[in-house]
Amino acid sequence: MTELKKVIKLRTVISTSAGMAIATSCYLAGIQLATILVGELAWISILLAGFLCLLSSLCFSELTSLYPSAAGIKLYIQNAFNEKVSIIIGMFYVILGISMVGAESYLLASVLSGTFQVFSPLYDKLLWMLFFIIFVALINIRGVYITGLVQDIMTYSMISFMIGVSIYTFATHDINISLAAQSAKFTLGNIIQAAGVGVFLFVGYEWVTPLAEETTDYRLIGKGMIWAIGILTVTYSLFIAAMYVGLTPAQLAGGTPIPHIVFGTNLFGVAGTITFIVMSVLASVTSFNSGLLNTSRFSYAMGRDNVLPRFFSKLHPSYATPWVSIIFLGVLAIVVSLATLYTGKYLFIILMAAALECFIYVVAAVCVIKLRKKYPEKERAFKIPLGYTIPIIVIVVFTGLMIGIFTDVSRDYMGRVLFPNYWVAVVMGGFFLCMVLYTLIVVPIFKKKAEAKEKTRVKRRPVK
Amino acid sequence: MATSQEILEALADYQGQCNENRRLRKMQRDWTKLLHFVAEDTGDKFTMNVVKGEIVSFESGINGTPDIIVTSSSENFCDMFWGDLNPSQKYLAGEIRVKASQEDVVRLDAITMIIWPDV
Repeated sequence: MTELKKVIKLRTVISTSAGMAIATSCYLAGIQLATILVGELAWISILLAGFLCLLSSLCFSELTSLYPSAAGIKLYIQNAFNEKVSIIIGMFYVILGISMVGAESYLLASVLSGTFQVFSPLYDKLLWMLFFIIFVALINIRGVYITGLVQDIMTYSMISFMIGVSIYTFATHDINISLAAQSAKFTLGNIIQAAGVGVFLFVGYEWVTPLAEETTDYRLIGKGMIWAIGILTVTYSLFIAAMYVGLTPAQLAGGTPIPHIVFGTNLFGVAGTITFIVMSVLASVTSFNSGLLNTSRFSYAMGRDNVLPRFFSKLHPSYATPWVSIIFLGVLAIVVSLATLYTGKYLFIILMAAALECFIYVVAAVCVIKLRKKYPEKERAFKIPLGYTIPIIVIVVFTGLMIGIFTDVSRDYMGRVLFPNYWVAVVMGGFFLCMVLYTLIVVPIFKKKAEAKEKTRVKRRPVK
Repeated sequence: MATSQEILEALADYQGQCNENRRLRKMQRDWTKLLHFVAEDTGDKFTMNVVKGEIVSFESGINGTPDIIVTSSSENFCDMFWGDLNPSQKYLAGEIRVKASQEDVVRLDAITMIIWPDV
């Protein structure tokens, strides 16, 4: 095969995959996980979550080797099931995925408003939220892309920083693991429940699969995901345990949405606050940017395919970017962030994202099995070993984790009930139902119109 | 199955349509790429050179190191270059495969969309 002028190397696949997962909301999810279990032993659940995500990454690797395309998710669901199912799941994934941008912007706004007060905490949060979403939307419309090298520098700097801070914390604080192991919270049930939340820490690692089109060998994507999950597992295990011991019981009980900033301040004073804010902004903006970039391209393609209204495929006259899709998704992110600001239930969206990931991993594993049965001879650059064992484990475990999330009750550090999690299932179910109705009722109307138009169009190709 | 000659004729028309479209030229003014097209059913290959949004040349066979590689059937290529086919739909169906950055995939599709908005 002819080589491309510019190809993405393994280093960049790893940094992109890990960079997508690292976000401001991860610190909060980490503390939530540590609260369910015992902070010093949170690494056990993180290791478990990382291992399970690693199994799911094998499914994505096999699917990417079959369909190495940015349209991969639609392609493999379509081929495993049918077009309607692929539209329902694809849009469900994208819309709930963009809601993460809303929650992330809320948390980033909390980081900044908690440090630099301009008006009042509420108005400051509102301003920062709008600023970041509009800023990312504008750079997306302008067609500013983060190059591989920049992504490498940012991701590896963040990871090195987190590991360095963790080592420093362990060297300067007392950690009594044997005492933590005697806690009443340290139970198998809590380990598994915390691992369910731990899945959130890896949310987005699979968004690296569209880069398959820019690699020399499709197997690089699979290798990259495995490396990224491994690096993230080690980094989070260290950092979350460090953050937990670096916060005072009063700070933990306060239920702050910005535990890492408080942690940074405890460690290094003002310098720590500023450094952690910079890391937070970097993590959030890169996640926002990639999230909006991927989802807006998906919406653009859906517009071109007559699944969404045609105006979704409008391109900016100067920058060739899908500006209508970007603005639509940006507005959606603003709506979610405003809802988060109004209700203060950022944890709700974190759980929703964790459940959505579990759902997508189950879908990917089912697709692996169905496609193996349907196309046994089709060439796969990578095939998961041990037959159907790993996809079946992924289906069983992630279905269990998803049910575990839905049937649990969210509590703060003090054990006070925040909300019953079945509301997460209700909201997700509502979204899913909307997608089903849209696909079954609205999409056929768009498709029929497009077909009618196509019939009346005179073909330009000369008939021979 | 389209012959190499048919695809070259389609490419000639495509070149004219692209280069004469002012809106497209403005949009693609900073787009300089070498493209390879591979018809997997016939084995025919083509090279297209785009400089600042203008298709300056196309030829049979592959030359140079490409920025973009498009693989599909000869029929799809012929229809695409004549503006009778929506490349996005074929891409989403896996019938057109592209090795390129996501930005280039959109820009390639943009050509058809701007010249033939009804497709």
